[in-house]
Amino acid sequence: MNPGPQTITHLFGKSYLPVTDTLIIGWVSVILIIILAKYLTSDLKLRPEGKQNIAELFITAVYDQIEPMIEGEGWKFLPFIATIFIYIGFSNLIGLVPGVPSPTADLNTTLGLALVVFLVSHFEGMRDKGIWGYIKSFGQPVIFLLPLNVVGELAKPISHSFRLFGNIVGGGIIITLIYQAAPGLIPVPLHAWFDLFIGLIQALIFGMVAIAYIAVAKQ
Amino acid sequence: MIEFSPGTIEMIIRSVSVIAAGLALIAGVGPGIGMGYAAGKATSGVRRQPEARGAIVTTMLLGQIISGSTGIYSLVIAIYLVFA
Repeated sequence: MNPGPQTITHLFGKSYLPVTDTLIIGWVSVILIIILAKYLTSDLKLRPEGKQNIAELFITAVYDQIEPMIEGEGWKFLPFIATIFIYIGFSNLIGLVPGVPSPTADLNTTLGLALVVFLVSHFEGMRDKGIWGYIKSFGQPVIFLLPLNVVGELAKPISHSFRLFGNIVGGGIIITLIYQAAPGLIPVPLHAWFDLFIGLIQALIFGMVAIAYIAVAKQ
Repeated sequence: MIEFSPGTIEMIIRSVSVIAAGLALIAGVGPGIGMGYAAGKATSGVRRQPEARGAIVTTMLLGQIISGSTGIYSLVIAIYLVFA
């Protein structure tokens, strides 16, 4: 069904350095994204035409999401948020290729991305308010709420990573069950829903929640 | 007192964990109701103020994401119970 990440080989022959299929497909998708980005941004013109329009449309759409939530710093966070959008969207879509598991169907990938967002949000909060001012903000509005605020802060990366992981794995399990019950062409339209629609929506949601966490830490 | 063999105990644990996974998914009712309520309110908000559509949709999505977390937790627990 969904056996989780499979160990393909071991790095340098050491048993504590496993190389899973998630790692390999993740790196392949990174290389494909780099090639695609190089192709889209080669030969830039002041009056955009053709492929440059696609790139500008995407960048402007991401910027319009960031700017209302983190005012005045849309261009600063654009590379980070756009990278999350592109990588997760591409990883979800690569699961459409038969026999290729999606890298986001592995908790290691999603938890890693969520931890990066967690670190960035706390770093930005500390830079905005100073270290002591940021620590004091956990004791708001009364000091007794300090443990509650800390637990709530630690729950953020967990729910952030499990949301993406649960959605992708759940969709994969449902499609596998229907393939076993009704093989043939019947489950094919379901890929449009579970892989295309849910995959792209979850990439958007992961990026938007990342923006929201950064914005909450900064104010 | 009935004595069970280890194989029978293994089987009981497996079947009970599958039933528990089904029960855990009852938690999907709550987020469904909550997210539908938020979407309904957002729809009436867009009808009243069509020019504020972007801000309303963004706020609605964020609220739905937060309230949908409980459903995701139950799904993950169900997956864990089935494959444990």
